[in-house]
Amino acid sequence: MGNYRFHTPDGVIDILPQEASAKRKLEADLRSLFSGHGYSEVETPGIEYYDVYASGDFVAPEGLFKTNDKDGRILALRYDGTIPVARLAATLLKDEKPPLRLSYIENMFRFKESGGGKLREFSQGGVELLGLDDAEADAEVIALGIKSVLMTGITDLQISIGQLEFFRGLVEEWGLSNEDAIELSTAIDQKDIVRVEKTAERLGLSEDAEELLDMISNRFGTYDVLDAFEAKVRNETSRSALKNLREILDALSDYELLQYVSIDLGMLRNMDYYTGMIFKGFTYEVGFPILGGGRYNKVVSTFGRELSAVGFSLGINLCLTALRRQDKLPEYVRVDAIVGYSQEEGMRKAAFATAQALRETGLKVIVDTEHRSEEELDAYADEYGIEQVIFVSDEGEDKEEENT
Amino acid sequence: MITIALSKGRLAQKALDLLEAAGYDVSAGREESRKLILEDEKTGLRFIMAKPADVPTYVEYGAADIGVVGKDTLLEEGRNLYEVIDLGFGACRMCVCGPVSLKGKLDQIPNKRVASKYPNITRAYFEGTKKESVEIIKLNGSVELAPLIGLAEVIVDIVESGRTLKENGLDVLEVVADISARVVVNRVSMKMKESEIVPMLDALRKQVAIMNAAKAQEG
Repeated sequence: MGNYRFHTPDGVIDILPQEASAKRKLEADLRSLFSGHGYSEVETPGIEYYDVYASGDFVAPEGLFKTNDKDGRILALRYDGTIPVARLAATLLKDEKPPLRLSYIENMFRFKESGGGKLREFSQGGVELLGLDDAEADAEVIALGIKSVLMTGITDLQISIGQLEFFRGLVEEWGLSNEDAIELSTAIDQKDIVRVEKTAERLGLSEDAEELLDMISNRFGTYDVLDAFEAKVRNETSRSALKNLREILDALSDYELLQYVSIDLGMLRNMDYYTGMIFKGFTYEVGFPILGGGRYNKVVSTFGRELSAVGFSLGINLCLTALRRQDKLPEYVRVDAIVGYSQEEGMRKAAFATAQALRETGLKVIVDTEHRSEEELDAYADEYGIEQVIFVSDEGEDKEEENT
Repeated sequence: MITIALSKGRLAQKALDLLEAAGYDVSAGREESRKLILEDEKTGLRFIMAKPADVPTYVEYGAADIGVVGKDTLLEEGRNLYEVIDLGFGACRMCVCGPVSLKGKLDQIPNKRVASKYPNITRAYFEGTKKESVEIIKLNGSVELAPLIGLAEVIVDIVESGRTLKENGLDVLEVVADISARVVVNRVSMKMKESEIVPMLDALRKQVAIMNAAKAQEG
């Protein structure tokens, strides 16, 4: 057997002080943002029964980190935040009157993400708004998602908003089989315009339908896009999807966040999981969306409670990567001040008190336990970039100097 | 700056020709050197020359915004990308091949051993499409040897002219997929660099349409 004691397994990483500090701060800010919007944090276990993820068919079993308990039941490490919260809402919280506003900040584990830099353990923060099924709830969640990203310091942010019901309405209107609908939606989602056209031709769709498909693939924007589609679409399902998007835009405009969003009706992923509005957030320098979410009205019911739901999750590690690459990580200061003391009686006590007083102002302070002289302490602070040096001695006042 | 990952070799040259025909200055990409990154500040284009199997990886992770790569590689790698244009060139087929005597009898062999350079495509075809369990043997080249020497009953491989097959008493038994060169785009780049990428894709589509029309006339 090989000896791996110096290594971390594939897809997991050590996070060093600078990044760890930025990450903890981000998580703390996120936590207060969520609670400031009335979302209560919950902590679900790191280990769930496999059935929690497998019975709803929402997660491919290959993606789960699995193990067994002593009775041979299959366990899975936490794969995402939403499904455990859905379980919670339908079980322990089943008597709580909706709406429920819940949040989490947890590490997720994905078995299949290996290879080439995608992490298999990563942190996500997210919210779930359960029991409200309207555009205003959708917009609340999108707005909180945008605020979360902006709060990290990322300013270049693009949010794409889609609506799966829009496409479902067209599928009904055109009378497509499930298989044909999947083929068409895959081609649209991959933005493979030629394959979309070929599929439309094979299915014998009308010219009007082909024009619509072309618009779905190519038109992005806000109200102008909705106007254009409203002028063309007749079926009720698609029209109410457009109405939902319009109301979402109205609300986002009142949140003063409209400048970040763009409608993309060609986003047609995870159609088994999401049931209405979906959205994703992008920034420069990371190849994956940092933010994702949408409405998933069928998930909670797999746990036995009829409860509509909308939520998002933010990729915390991805945000940190983006901040690092965009050169926006906050400067990291290990220690702000060092307090030394002379060897006369009582000076150590005075130094401890001085250090404590400084800490209470928010500074990071160490006491020099190696008993350096005043000159040695200056030199040491210089070498390690410690800005403030305080030397407590019997010769009258404490000496303080700024190290520049 | 738009970063374009090309599959080293013939496919790269054809892709550069097409970009040039679409009105882009690709002289940086044609530079004869051992450099792996060819960049032109002036045109805002950067080319990276990668092994074909790696192109989807570069694009998925956003290390490259755009890639040109064969459909066979895309099917085998199964990456999460926008697959936006079928360029038409590099056309061939992914096929199940075996001894001529097996023609029409493929389904009668139980517990097949299938040799291939493309284990994922093979698995998806037999397990997904044909609902059949098979033993897959991964090889790295000269796959035609496997059925001749008894390592496997059949192979899954790319067929262009079919000459190698014929000369070895093999034939196409079933077609798995049509293969040709594709343009792929990173899902984030498509949004964040839309103003540069969308016009480039439109220009490329136009060229492909012209190319296909010319081919149709010849044919």
